[in-house]
Amino acid sequence: MPAEIEGYFKKEFGIDAGLCRRLLERALSRGGDFADLFFEHTVKDWAGLEDGKVDRSRGEVILGVGIRTVKGAQVGYGFTQDLREEAMLAAAATAASLVNQAARPVAAGFTARRHSGFYSTDPARAGIALEAKIPALKSVHGLCLGASPLVSKVTAGFASSLRRILVATSDGVLAEDCAPLSNFSVQVVVEKGGRRERAGWDLGGRREASTYAPAAVEGLARRAVDRALVLLEAVQPPSGTFAVVLGPGLSGVLLHEAIGHGLEGDLNRTGASTYASSMGARVAGEGVTIVDDATLEGAPGSLHCDDEGTPGQRTVVVEKGMLTGYLHDRISAGHYGAAPTGNGRRQDFTHEPIPRMRNTYLLPGEAAPEDLVREAGQGIYVEDVANGQVRIGEGDFSFYVSQGRLIENGRLGAPIKDVNIMGNGPRLLADIVRVGNDLAHYHGGGGLCGKNGQLVPVGFGMPTCLVRSLTVGGVQAQGGRP
Amino acid sequence: MNSRTHPLEGRELAAWMLARAKDAGAEACRVRVHRRRFVSVRYRDRRPDLVSEASTRGLAREVFKAGHYASESTPDLRPASLEGFAAQVLSRALLTEADPFRGLPGRERYGVPPALDLELADPAHASLSLGERHGVARELEAACMDLAGPGLLSVEATANDQDSEEWVLSSDGFEGRERGTEFWTGGLLSLRDEGGRRPESWVYAGVRRRRDLPAVQAVAEELVRRARAGLGAGKIASATLPVVVEGRCAGTLLGGFLAALGGRSLQQGQSFLAGRLGERVGSPAFTLVDDPFIPAGLGSRRYDGDGLPARRRGLVDGGVLRAHLVDWYYSRKLGVEPTTGSPSNLVLPAGGRGLEAALKDLGRCVLVTEIIGGNANPTTGDFSAGIAGSLCEGGRPVRALAEMNIAGNHLQLWQRLIEAAGEPYPWGTLRVPALVFDAVAVSGT
Repeated sequence: MPAEIEGYFKKEFGIDAGLCRRLLERALSRGGDFADLFFEHTVKDWAGLEDGKVDRSRGEVILGVGIRTVKGAQVGYGFTQDLREEAMLAAAATAASLVNQAARPVAAGFTARRHSGFYSTDPARAGIALEAKIPALKSVHGLCLGASPLVSKVTAGFASSLRRILVATSDGVLAEDCAPLSNFSVQVVVEKGGRRERAGWDLGGRREASTYAPAAVEGLARRAVDRALVLLEAVQPPSGTFAVVLGPGLSGVLLHEAIGHGLEGDLNRTGASTYASSMGARVAGEGVTIVDDATLEGAPGSLHCDDEGTPGQRTVVVEKGMLTGYLHDRISAGHYGAAPTGNGRRQDFTHEPIPRMRNTYLLPGEAAPEDLVREAGQGIYVEDVANGQVRIGEGDFSFYVSQGRLIENGRLGAPIKDVNIMGNGPRLLADIVRVGNDLAHYHGGGGLCGKNGQLVPVGFGMPTCLVRSLTVGGVQAQGGRP
Repeated sequence: MNSRTHPLEGRELAAWMLARAKDAGAEACRVRVHRRRFVSVRYRDRRPDLVSEASTRGLAREVFKAGHYASESTPDLRPASLEGFAAQVLSRALLTEADPFRGLPGRERYGVPPALDLELADPAHASLSLGERHGVARELEAACMDLAGPGLLSVEATANDQDSEEWVLSSDGFEGRERGTEFWTGGLLSLRDEGGRRPESWVYAGVRRRRDLPAVQAVAEELVRRARAGLGAGKIASATLPVVVEGRCAGTLLGGFLAALGGRSLQQGQSFLAGRLGERVGSPAFTLVDDPFIPAGLGSRRYDGDGLPARRRGLVDGGVLRAHLVDWYYSRKLGVEPTTGSPSNLVLPAGGRGLEAALKDLGRCVLVTEIIGGNANPTTGDFSAGIAGSLCEGGRPVRALAEMNIAGNHLQLWQRLIEAAGEPYPWGTLRVPALVFDAVAVSGT
């Protein structure tokens, strides 16, 4: 018995199993290995606070279907916002135009995939209405001003979205999901003696509305102000090569850039990645185990299923220093004869899925964080990371430290800010000397990763970690001469 | 409405939404209707790797009532959905707090957009066949393979294009319509190097008129040349050195400066350029012009996002700051005249001599060909960014560089700009030649 689509897309848009079959048959009418349909209806809502008023809001809807025909690694892709059958059949014909062979049959029925509770899919609990955002935003203004007389400006934004998807494949998979994502971010400007600095803090993820209770909003305001006040004393550090201690949480951006992208299956399949010939090899010390995980409750990169209908799962990519797996979508899994790992993601229905990270983190070790600082002796301690980038072939990566500390004589010293750090991915992994026992995850929901012009939400996690050496882009050259 | 599934499109749809907003009690409203057709063909391993084609459209509206404001957009243009969208025209705005600075500029501010043909749309787009698109991508990939030889690890070649159109109508009398085409050709290439490194290069050339696209062979040569320049790259010792930043990667650097020019940054106390109009913020070599009238320019336009008529405007003139980038809303909040909220084509005029001559004069210097990551603090001007490129001596590259950084503060950096050398980068809205700074902190070992 074919599983009937009982959910949202049938009710709202009349998308039933028969229609899916007709579209898939059109997509495979000229051959191909498989075809899939990706229906999306995302509703986004944002409200903002400036100069004490919640005086702006924005609503956006994404609605459409992407239809893909795949042969080997070749992809034909058509998409449309028009969910009438004739428009969708035309998009399917576009996808089919890639190949020119005999038609391939579509599976007789669809089997719905099961998902587990990595986040609430109930719009009543996970949706956050504009009416609920306004008092929360409003309260932040007073909380920040009240936290310090040095605060001169407060801005805040509260974004939320519900992304509903339906995936149907020619080999009979049917997957439906409703994923919430929200982010409450606060920025403050502080001024003292003619000096002015700005900092902020986020709270978010795939969370329920109840996350943003008054106590949590108060904590958010407090963190934002504390961050900014520290910057009033901060300097840009000296430049050169130093030992670096990565603080817990946000510094996981470094893992994402240094190794995560390099393990995405497409970049290895094509030979572009520096890790393309490292499978099974030792890439780091015994203490390094790295996972990419769709199952972390409430985390921004968690997924009940990916955008190809593969169930969300936890994937170990480096185990005790050995490279054990790539992150696959269906195409790269097919190339390597491996199972898809649930990493086939897309920004929205206008894009084809490609291998992407979800929540990437390093498992905790046993070291006490303060011991790692002591061991570093002299160097840099990283607290907040704003952004990063990698050159995938060379493995050279960059991440921008918005806040940190100097390490002097094994102790945390003066605050530092606005410094870029460069390194090389494979060398960084080998240079992770010790791993702390304090794994923490990114606390916000605003972390976006860009690849091939597509942005997707991701999470990061890191225990405190000591790295032997990285290039710190400070302002005073040490040891160099003009 | 008649019984057709899509009874209204383009201007008529915008006018309908405007009328419905007025009926619902909105004091003012601005509606933008857009459509876009997009085709992309990518080749790899001498086969089409991705063929993507689609049309999209949508409607966005901003509504105003007694200082209440909201913006909303929808791609769902089915009559029943649009009726629902129209029925809720004020519900979002009325939830927010009133803000006396919200409003539309008013008819007298719009004037008459200049009657210029900016050549933004190429009629040749309509006759471009899928076969021709395949041809460009296929030939580019083949040319790269021939040129790169056995060291080639990976190449992908892309040809894509789009034809887009928008209609903007506002209740206070603005009406705008613009149509534009874009054609892009380019790719990614990586080579085998020692120690497992795979130096990669990218080139994407984009134009509004198809005939302006560079020859496929020239794109392939640049891809191979740039990847080869990264062979054997490493670090040198940290030092303060003359630094030359290629025009195509100057955007990251200039972006840090531009962020501080914006009305919101100024009004929110987050700009190191606040209160500096008329002051020196750079050397005499630093001139920056917002020029919306470049024929066939990727950023060219006749009106801006507020509907204000486009104007050629000097932002920095010989090192002196002449204008901020202030849109209508922040102009009212700041109590200044608006300029524009976002620049069109940004031009940094070339100094007149070529890059090679400039490099020769610098002696030992760093030529930056990629900026990797990095960021700038618009409140203070501090910046730091990863770089790759070459160490040059006597005008010639002597060592490929990677894994290094540059850092400083924008208020000092632009004072150190001694020359803008060579031709401006042509494939973007930022038309900037190579920027020559006489001293920048460079960090390596």
